[in-house]
Amino acid sequence: MRACRRLALLLLVSLCAVLPALAQGSISNLPRKETLIVENPEGTIKNAGWFNIWAINAGGQSTGLHQLAMDTFWYIDPQRGVDGVWDNSLASEKPIYNADFTEMTVKLRKGIFWSDGVEFTADDVVYTIQTHMKTNGLRWSAPVQVNVADISAADPSTVVFKLKKPNSRFHALFTVRWNAMWMMPKHVFEKAGDPLKFAFDPPVTLGAYTLNSYDPNGKWFIWQKREDWKRTTVARFGEPGPKYVAYIDAGPPDKRVIAQLNHELDIIHDTSPEGMFTIAKQAKTSHGWFKGFPYAHPDPTLPAIVFNAQSDLFKSRDIRWALALLIDIKAVSMASYRGAATISAIGVPPTGSAPEYYHVPLESWLQAFEIDTGKQKLKPYDPTVGKQIADMLRPSMGDQIPTAADDIAKSFGRGWWKPNPKAAQELLERAGFTKQGDRWLMPDGKPFAIKLMVEGEGRPVMTRAGSMIAQQWRQFGIDATTVVAQGSMADRRAAGDFEAMITWSVETWGGHPDLSFFLDSWHSQFVAQPGKPQPPRNWQRWSHPELDKIIEQIRGTAFDDPKGLELGREYVKLVVREMPTIPLMSYNVFTVMDETYWTGYPSAETAPYTDPVPNWGNTKYMMVRLKPRS
Amino acid sequence: MTGFPLYLATRLGQFALVVFIGINIAFIVTHATPINPVEQSIAAATQFGSTSPEAIALMRQSLKELYGLEGGIGAQYIAFWRRVAVGDFGPSLSAFPTPVSTLIGRALPWTVGLLVISILLTWTLGNLLGGLAGYFRDSRSLRLAGIIAMGFHPIPYYIVALILLIVFGYLWPVLPISGGYMMNMPRELSWAFLGSLATHSILPILSLVLVGLGGWFMGMRSLVSNVVTEDYVTYAELGGVARSRILASYVMRNALMPQVTGLAMSLGAIFNGAIITEQVFGYPGIGSLLVSAVHAGDYSLVLGITTVSILSVSVAVLLIDLLYPLLDPRVRAR
Repeated sequence: MRACRRLALLLLVSLCAVLPALAQGSISNLPRKETLIVENPEGTIKNAGWFNIWAINAGGQSTGLHQLAMDTFWYIDPQRGVDGVWDNSLASEKPIYNADFTEMTVKLRKGIFWSDGVEFTADDVVYTIQTHMKTNGLRWSAPVQVNVADISAADPSTVVFKLKKPNSRFHALFTVRWNAMWMMPKHVFEKAGDPLKFAFDPPVTLGAYTLNSYDPNGKWFIWQKREDWKRTTVARFGEPGPKYVAYIDAGPPDKRVIAQLNHELDIIHDTSPEGMFTIAKQAKTSHGWFKGFPYAHPDPTLPAIVFNAQSDLFKSRDIRWALALLIDIKAVSMASYRGAATISAIGVPPTGSAPEYYHVPLESWLQAFEIDTGKQKLKPYDPTVGKQIADMLRPSMGDQIPTAADDIAKSFGRGWWKPNPKAAQELLERAGFTKQGDRWLMPDGKPFAIKLMVEGEGRPVMTRAGSMIAQQWRQFGIDATTVVAQGSMADRRAAGDFEAMITWSVETWGGHPDLSFFLDSWHSQFVAQPGKPQPPRNWQRWSHPELDKIIEQIRGTAFDDPKGLELGREYVKLVVREMPTIPLMSYNVFTVMDETYWTGYPSAETAPYTDPVPNWGNTKYMMVRLKPRS
Repeated sequence: MTGFPLYLATRLGQFALVVFIGINIAFIVTHATPINPVEQSIAAATQFGSTSPEAIALMRQSLKELYGLEGGIGAQYIAFWRRVAVGDFGPSLSAFPTPVSTLIGRALPWTVGLLVISILLTWTLGNLLGGLAGYFRDSRSLRLAGIIAMGFHPIPYYIVALILLIVFGYLWPVLPISGGYMMNMPRELSWAFLGSLATHSILPILSLVLVGLGGWFMGMRSLVSNVVTEDYVTYAELGGVARSRILASYVMRNALMPQVTGLAMSLGAIFNGAIITEQVFGYPGIGSLLVSAVHAGDYSLVLGITTVSILSVSVAVLLIDLLYPLLDPRVRAR
């Protein structure tokens, strides 16, 4: 036994001596100082060797494939853009429509080459469109087949789309907001046979990077700067900084934090608020979109309580408004994002250019806005809620909390609805509801019960928001509970199998005020019958004649026409009056950037040139701003 | 038919029945899930980009045709069994058109490698220490080993894994905490690659061994405690047989039979994967593949993995049933 003990001790000592020798960098054969390591939120890609992005969900997208390897006509930046919000990428100018929007002409940029040395021309565009016209089941087959009657190349740098019917927003199909329809290399695909079965490995790229290597098990993908990067579209803004970019599956939030603290992960795509606070405390070289609290980037996405308008429960505007007046958004902000939320009372996310175009100009209208409960008229809007959240956080977060009104509005949002249980009671009573003891009863005498669907562990922040809201409704006497949908969220949302849920049906361009990106889908022509699947994004299945008129007017208005902005504001006023959804806050993404190896990341204060959230196609512009730390 | 042929035929019949019922249950469960692969694909394809509602209906129809989901459940059931009969699970619906067998083939070696090593290590160490602790009941160091092994046993696996991550990934960052090998390292038969494989597997294996050790330890110690009271052990001791020989030939060997059954069952179950291990340590394998297939509503992939799992567990049980008469004369006599 003594020999055994000695052996065990020897093993332990040897282990302690050997383990440090096993420590190694996270990447082999590449200089770390020339490599940017980025989290890919898609995680492990089960079909790693598949780079044909035109086949639906056959492989990964944000593995660097659509950020660094793809290109298309235009990009709209969710923030201010490297050189303005709109960028003509493969196109040399904006789309040119005829008078009735049945024809769109695209002038192409000259001198752009594929990574194998073949020049990009109108033939590639024509091939891409025609392939989608004749092949069912490609990612963009359906929108192309619905819209395009014919395409032709007037010359090697001009293509003309003839549309089946007027569409003033047809260019949106080729305008990147996260992604868009990417161009195919004709000379590769025409030899490949069935485009649905072609893996496109290695990919021939239009972007400034080409594939270096990838893990067959889908854990990482490494891209390498093209030697001829000057023949790509981003070259107008300079040379991309990183020679190599690795997109990796960084694992659960705790591991992402550890990896960044060890300087083995330069950009965390998203982590929990708690993870962000840990990094902020422990890492001097890391920062978020905001250098201090609330750190996160507000995405142009608007989480809201989405009522199913086809449920009898929520057909009355009074009920929807009553439920809004029972919410204390400060508590929801604390429960969901630990205070790091950017609230919005109106149906536009408070990010990008929206505050300038919508929130600020409509502030006085909101302050004057009245609702009539039948027993009183009241002004429900409290313009100081954002400031109240900042004041509430200041004792614990100190100097990180801004004091200037504009900075507070950017970080925490502006106003929201003041909790008003008395007004809520009056609205419910007018709708025929009665209170018996501590419980509210519906007009038919049954208890007023609401099942609020939340996504669960897949989206913990929104789940916590839902739990807080259900609790607030319960305190008022409504039998509100949360239902966790987990993986069935997409199915149940499309099927209308919910009463109310926390999700978003509003997504905007971010940098551009046009709202058709989501609003066109809210037209009553697209509202599905109960039980039938609802197409994105009008998950609430709500329609209104006034809204139809607004949408139809937008359809007849050019994309940059200032009239579109006026119509957008009309939409905002209508949904404030009708409250088909209760907007809560922007979807804040805790993207964390480590400056140990790279500088020049986007930030709200000094460099708002693009959205830092690295799974966006728009982050190709980040590469030209990143410089190695000297 | 009598004797071993009857025994063999009965066991083979049971095996076929278990496999058939298991695969049918897997088919029913996967098709009863509320997650529809077409809706999942549409949601993934449209959740960020520009979407035309008119196009969605067309996309839905195209995907149904592409995924072969147009027929009724009966037609799908028959098609499924036709494919299974020739070892083909069809294309994955969440990585279309890549065959399910390709995806399983890519992930399985990692799971098998990780779990075979950790199960054998755990089994050997647990039984050895448990056997020694049961025989040398007065040894303080073995008591300490027992306390450690049993101390880790009830701790939830995720907590142990997380502690290892924090200790060896952050506080004393000497071991890789993610992946199966170092990023960008060529997958070739070289010392560098093998070394990278080994270092990346230390933490996943250690976590599995720490949590699994206690079960084998306790089982073996109890078995040995019973065996040492048997008359033949007492006679051997009285006869002056060396203690090491008594332990190895008289005690451990007799106590080992139930543990061998347990080992076979554990090895059979490796095809289920080690979901939490793979998730926590970012280790490639079939567990993560199964989770992602479930989330995506990928019936084909889920069915492929569960079928492999059902077959492997059933084969393991069958082998044990067939080998038992050879190992244990009491079973042979029956």
